[in-house]
Amino acid sequence: MSLVGEDDRVPAELEQAAPDPADWVEALSIPGPRQDHAMSRLHEMMLRASRHQVRRMRSSLAGVGNERLEEIANQAADEAMMTLLTKLHTFEGRSRFTTWAYKFAILQCATEVRRFAWLHREVELVELTPVGQRDPSPASYAEAADLASAVSAAIDVALTPHQRKITIALLIDDVPIDVLAQRLGTNRNALYKTVHDARTRLRAHLIASGHLADSHPQAGTS
Amino acid sequence: MTHTHTPLSAHIARCLTLNTEPFLSCDDCFDLVDRYAEALLSDPDYDLPAIRTHLAGCAACAEEARSLISFVAEQDGLDPVPALRRLEDDPT
Repeated sequence: MSLVGEDDRVPAELEQAAPDPADWVEALSIPGPRQDHAMSRLHEMMLRASRHQVRRMRSSLAGVGNERLEEIANQAADEAMMTLLTKLHTFEGRSRFTTWAYKFAILQCATEVRRFAWLHREVELVELTPVGQRDPSPASYAEAADLASAVSAAIDVALTPHQRKITIALLIDDVPIDVLAQRLGTNRNALYKTVHDARTRLRAHLIASGHLADSHPQAGTS
Repeated sequence: MTHTHTPLSAHIARCLTLNTEPFLSCDDCFDLVDRYAEALLSDPDYDLPAIRTHLAGCAACAEEARSLISFVAEQDGLDPVPALRRLEDDPT
């Protein structure tokens, strides 16, 4: 890829069915026509990935028209592209640039869809373990009933009030983690860590009470 | 706080007691997921237990990982099913 100043014009081949840059980071970093071309191509990629994500989550947006869906995809592509550009220096080439780029669009779009779907829904943080649904199969219910009852009881005694509220919201009430993070002014990492710690406590409590078999730590963490 | 201990569903009970060690944050997962997706698409037996464990315990990251795998496969003309099936394997 040529450097800035070497050619101020967009080469003819770039104006037509132009190939993607061989070196995306360089192309996106150096001002000039090649950067403009790379930005344009990148935005197309981000929009494709965002539309793909909207299609996947379409069922959570019942009643939302195609025009609004397209707006969500476009907005997500724009925001994901801005985020990517601030992190361009962190690209290490461990995957293809395109795959690296797609993940930004997918994350942003999935987050926006979840938030949009919950825009008018209240998130109620409760400490009460809700009444559970029994499994349809009597056999499977019989096998699981003892553990499920023990888990329900353990939520009461083994978790802190904060862990209890977050865990119930995310794992029982199915509040999307991005939505809960936004409502509580926190982030996905912090909420996942809370749930991780809650699971650790629940497991320890249930192993001690004999309801859960002790398992060795998983091997091979790399 | 006292409440009625009506059993949760077996699925939720399993989800609540999932062993999510080794710990991996959502940001760590995001850092790895592009490499993981490509590796799984080229070799469905490829494994990275830490990220697979995280994906089993984090619904949002799991959806995004499945989506990335599907989208990259679509762009490359690959079958995503073997890689997606690998994600469903019990990491424990």
